[in-house]
Amino acid sequence: MDLYDPMMHVSSWIRQVGNLGLDLLWRFIHIVVSLWYIVFGIFEAIESYAISLGFDERYNSIDIKKLRCLAVAVDIADARDVANVIELLQWLTTIGVKQVGLYDSQGLLKKSKDLVLATVPGSFLLEENGKNDFSPDEKRIAIEFISSSDNKEAVMKAANILLQRYLKSSPPENDKGENFFTESHLSEALRVVGDNGHVPDLLLVYGPIRSHLGFPAWRLRYTEIVHMGSLKYMRYGSLLKAIHKFTGVRQNYGT
Amino acid sequence: MSFPIVLTFLALILVFFLVPGLFISRRLRVSFSLTNIVRFIKIATSKYDDEEERNEKGSTMGEKVKRERHKMPKHVAVILDGNRHWAEKRGLGTSDGHEAGAKRLIENAKDCFAMGTNTISLFAFSTENWERPEDEVNCLMALFETNFKSEMPYFQREKIKISVIGNRSKISESLLSLIGEVEEATKSYEGKHIIIAIDYSGRFDILQACKSLAKKAKDGLIEVEDINEKAMEKELMTKCSEFPNPDLLIRTSGEQRISNFFLWQSAYSELYFPNVLWPDFGEAEYLEALTWYQQRQRRFGRRV
Repeated sequence: MDLYDPMMHVSSWIRQVGNLGLDLLWRFIHIVVSLWYIVFGIFEAIESYAISLGFDERYNSIDIKKLRCLAVAVDIADARDVANVIELLQWLTTIGVKQVGLYDSQGLLKKSKDLVLATVPGSFLLEENGKNDFSPDEKRIAIEFISSSDNKEAVMKAANILLQRYLKSSPPENDKGENFFTESHLSEALRVVGDNGHVPDLLLVYGPIRSHLGFPAWRLRYTEIVHMGSLKYMRYGSLLKAIHKFTGVRQNYGT
Repeated sequence: MSFPIVLTFLALILVFFLVPGLFISRRLRVSFSLTNIVRFIKIATSKYDDEEERNEKGSTMGEKVKRERHKMPKHVAVILDGNRHWAEKRGLGTSDGHEAGAKRLIENAKDCFAMGTNTISLFAFSTENWERPEDEVNCLMALFETNFKSEMPYFQREKIKISVIGNRSKISESLLSLIGEVEEATKSYEGKHIIIAIDYSGRFDILQACKSLAKKAKDGLIEVEDINEKAMEKELMTKCSEFPNPDLLIRTSGEQRISNFFLWQSAYSELYFPNVLWPDFGEAEYLEALTWYQQRQRRFGRRV
């Protein structure tokens, strides 16, 4: 009994030191990985400037035809600075991108639509039918403005349209709705509620989080998603590199 | 006598690792300040202290759960890509690649649970995969059957709940029966959950949820006006999970797309695309993914 309390005390101390040691080890791993990413980031910045200045010939001629539709998702903090978004669009026009979907979850860019279209040379609003009536040599860019209301909310509205049609058809008892709820039906219903449904080949995500930020789910099936970092630190070279890398991607679509 | 030695050792660790580390790395959760260093030491040493737990009784379980959830992803989703490429690199057959992938699957599940993850979702077979050569598809179906049978004792021993999601219309009777057995035998387990997506498609998931809602509306179980996002989420196949939306979505082999997996559920999932092929994705690679996850801010589309 006399030895019990000191033994418990020692055991508790050993446990605490052990836990502290494990915690410090975990933090140490964080530090090592952080240092790695810092060094990697410096490397990337140097490479990006070299690409911007044209030192790397691979990026001087990109097969832009493979990129039919580009989407850009912007974090809400970055979306407040429209000047950066405008500069990005100007870069995209220079590169030769013809169609871009601009997305932010709160629709801040939608509200700045007029400013963007007035400021970016050659830009115009993407029509519903998606036809771009200009020649490929013209430096013009069709822009679609998207927000989270075009994601789950739009799918719900489209689902309600299909539901109304289904209920109006007075389906028999054992009918499971196979003829009313198909991918093409839902795509058509999405067009009715105003979702143009342009499926991007490439989605560039600008923000601190590597996530698609709630971009319309129905459109994202086979979209390449590239995280570009914060819009504040965007670089022309990084943009060129991301697009060039996309043109080299070969998808097998699961087959 | 040993007390000053231990204290000296701790002080050395502080000076040579923690302080410079906090200064160099902006991305650690604690910022560089004396208060936070002291706070960190106190938290680390008293984490499992009984007295500390007694003092924390005042805070609600919701706050504790929120703090804990923020550290580790509760739901990790994985797109298992790279089995065929792995086999090609080694001059092996495709089936060898898939077998290696299956073995890695169980090993990684153990690591995930050991690190505090509650739910692991695995994109084992997509709807598009039916277009692959017949012998490869047959090999994959046989692998599912073999592994369900062989790992059943492990699932029961470790109390891991197994759920299989996807379109079951093309799956063989024998495999369907086995899936039913495994799900039934493990349905009461909590705390560890493996969701295996077989013949799954994100678009199909959304459509079947719409159909389910339509049937409920037709049967008068719900009003049309009540059909909203929350109602939709309750009908998606991930409704079997306590955490239906993945916190972290990993796709191996360097491909940077989600390929029709969890389209609805992954709106704010952290995406991690390592170059390593799935059969080579081990504990070290998962640790790196977790470190990546912990370093990012997560704001779910609104300012925090």
